[in-house]
Amino acid sequence: MASIKLAHITKNFGSVTAIKDINLDVVDGDFLVLLGPSGCGKSTLLRMLAGLETISDGAIYLGDRRIDGLPPSERDMAFVFQSYALYPHKSVGENIGFPLLMRYFRWWFHIPILGSIAKRRVERSPEVAQSVTRTAKILGLTEMLNRLPRTLSGGQRQRVALGRAMVRQPEVFLMDEPLSNLDAKLRTTMRAEISKLHRNLKGTFVYVTHDQVEAMTMGTKIALLRDGQLQQFGTPREIYEDPANTYVAGFIGVPAMNLIRSRYSDDGFRIGPAAISLPERLMAAARKANGPTLLGVRPNALRIGRSDVPDTLQGTVVLVEQVGAESNVSVELAADAMSVEQDQSSNTIIITTPGYSELEPGTLISVSMDLEQAVLFSEKTGERIRD
Amino acid sequence: MTSMSWRHGMHISAVLALLGVAAFPIYWMLVTSLTSSAETFADVPRLVPDLSQLPIYNAVFSTTQIGVWLVNSAIVAAGTTVLSIALAILPAYALSRLQFRGKGLLGLCLFASQMLPEVMLVVPLYAIFVTLGLLDTLLGLILVNSAFTVPVVIWILKGAIDSVPVELEEAARVDGCSRIEILLLIVAPLIAPTIAAASVIAFFHGWNEYVFALTFVSSEGLRTASVGLAGFVGELITPIETVMAVGIIYTLPAITFYLVAQRYVVAGMTSGAIKG
Repeated sequence: MASIKLAHITKNFGSVTAIKDINLDVVDGDFLVLLGPSGCGKSTLLRMLAGLETISDGAIYLGDRRIDGLPPSERDMAFVFQSYALYPHKSVGENIGFPLLMRYFRWWFHIPILGSIAKRRVERSPEVAQSVTRTAKILGLTEMLNRLPRTLSGGQRQRVALGRAMVRQPEVFLMDEPLSNLDAKLRTTMRAEISKLHRNLKGTFVYVTHDQVEAMTMGTKIALLRDGQLQQFGTPREIYEDPANTYVAGFIGVPAMNLIRSRYSDDGFRIGPAAISLPERLMAAARKANGPTLLGVRPNALRIGRSDVPDTLQGTVVLVEQVGAESNVSVELAADAMSVEQDQSSNTIIITTPGYSELEPGTLISVSMDLEQAVLFSEKTGERIRD
Repeated sequence: MTSMSWRHGMHISAVLALLGVAAFPIYWMLVTSLTSSAETFADVPRLVPDLSQLPIYNAVFSTTQIGVWLVNSAIVAAGTTVLSIALAILPAYALSRLQFRGKGLLGLCLFASQMLPEVMLVVPLYAIFVTLGLLDTLLGLILVNSAFTVPVVIWILKGAIDSVPVELEEAARVDGCSRIEILLLIVAPLIAPTIAAASVIAFFHGWNEYVFALTFVSSEGLRTASVGLAGFVGELITPIETVMAVGIIYTLPAITFYLVAQRYVVAGMTSGAIKG
């Protein structure tokens, strides 16, 4: 069983704490994506799983086996590096077969000539040669087995790196931003290939990325990290529809969720001076908060409309971005209705409208909201308020 | 186009001039070795070798022990090279990759050891060699030469190991390599050009070394070529053409070794390892 359990994992670099008390349970066959901005500790966490980095506190289990004290080679995990890390002096075939060669490696293989003969015999042995050929065939590298890595394109090198991981048939695949060096088109192709690989191999994958599109499309589970702390752990749908705090809400979704300053008091729920009627679920949460809140609304749940409709916000168009199938309209709300985007305050919200928007900057508009999917956060802590 | 060819011409001329400066002493040595004693000190020096003097090379081999000296020099130089690389690669790796207390100081000490002149160490080393019974042995010379080349080789190899991407080593660790296997299977092949360059330095040090070879070896049969060559320079008479002929013979194996080693001194081995 290749389930992974991280229990109270902490990592200190000197006085800096890179990872703070992380707990995760990854079920066998899951595709876990560790997501977060640069420097959030996601790569460190992956390297600790691989054994390339020691842990300062906590425990890592693979199935029932505690593995945090084991060297990388004994963890039955393969690692695909962001930079590919192919051995430049070895051919594609030798690169792929290297983990298998090391399985049979003996000290006397270091003796010149004798060692070379022994290594060649291992490489040509049926089990090694067949594994290499089979892996190369799956990845479409059969024609390139004798070529050196420097003669390959980025995508081909990435496939060799995947091959070197696959050939060992490990229980767990660890991947550190493996697609970040590829161009956009190749990235889309490789994304699909890795997903296919996950379905076919049925192994447990742990994948690090800062790209939320990769996370949403590939992952069966996402762990969103910030400053070494776990913000939320769940399926892509849970993370998108049910964010645990304003950070998650702002990180997931393009454009990000709008967070609009609001307040619940005795005279009801208001955004600025405008009274807003909420669905019962949200109203219960607002009553519970009883004070300043942030109303989280996705850009596609906002509509540009007429000003005489109730429950609308007034604003001015400041920017219209045409994305092709849809347009992103930035709207500056009237001064006393503020939105909070990530860590900085601004009173601009983004509305996604289908098709090509003819709106001009400077136009006064009304914004109506579909609050069925909206969520409410505490303005003070940024945490989600549930009914 | 004319400016390009003009610059190309200048380039060629500069290379030829430098080549002339480097090659002239060897040519002069060759010409002098093939000049009769009578002509050597003539007012107008000979610029073209006198091929009738060629038998002097035969005579040198038959009248001196140059063959034995060359073999001794080769043993000392090759021994120094092998021992230096073998001893230097582990500390070079440690200095490059491992973090330990006193690392900076150790590196500095290696540098400092290069500041001591060899002559200053002759007497203390002589005393040590007497105790260890290493006097009058080629092994002693190999050891003492290696002591001088190892620090240099460590620094050269450390620089090369620094440039090997750490990810390669991490990949090897995941693939099941121990530290020593990483060093021998991954790092060493990648820094082969630098190992070749360091070998050239160690070999030439062993081949050219004179002071220790003169002091620590007294048997005629264990003399190295550098000492043997100097032995021709007498107080009263120096047979110039013989010295030059021996000089040419002494130079050839070293040039051969360099030509073999320099083929491996090629750059670009790590390209393709990581992105780009």
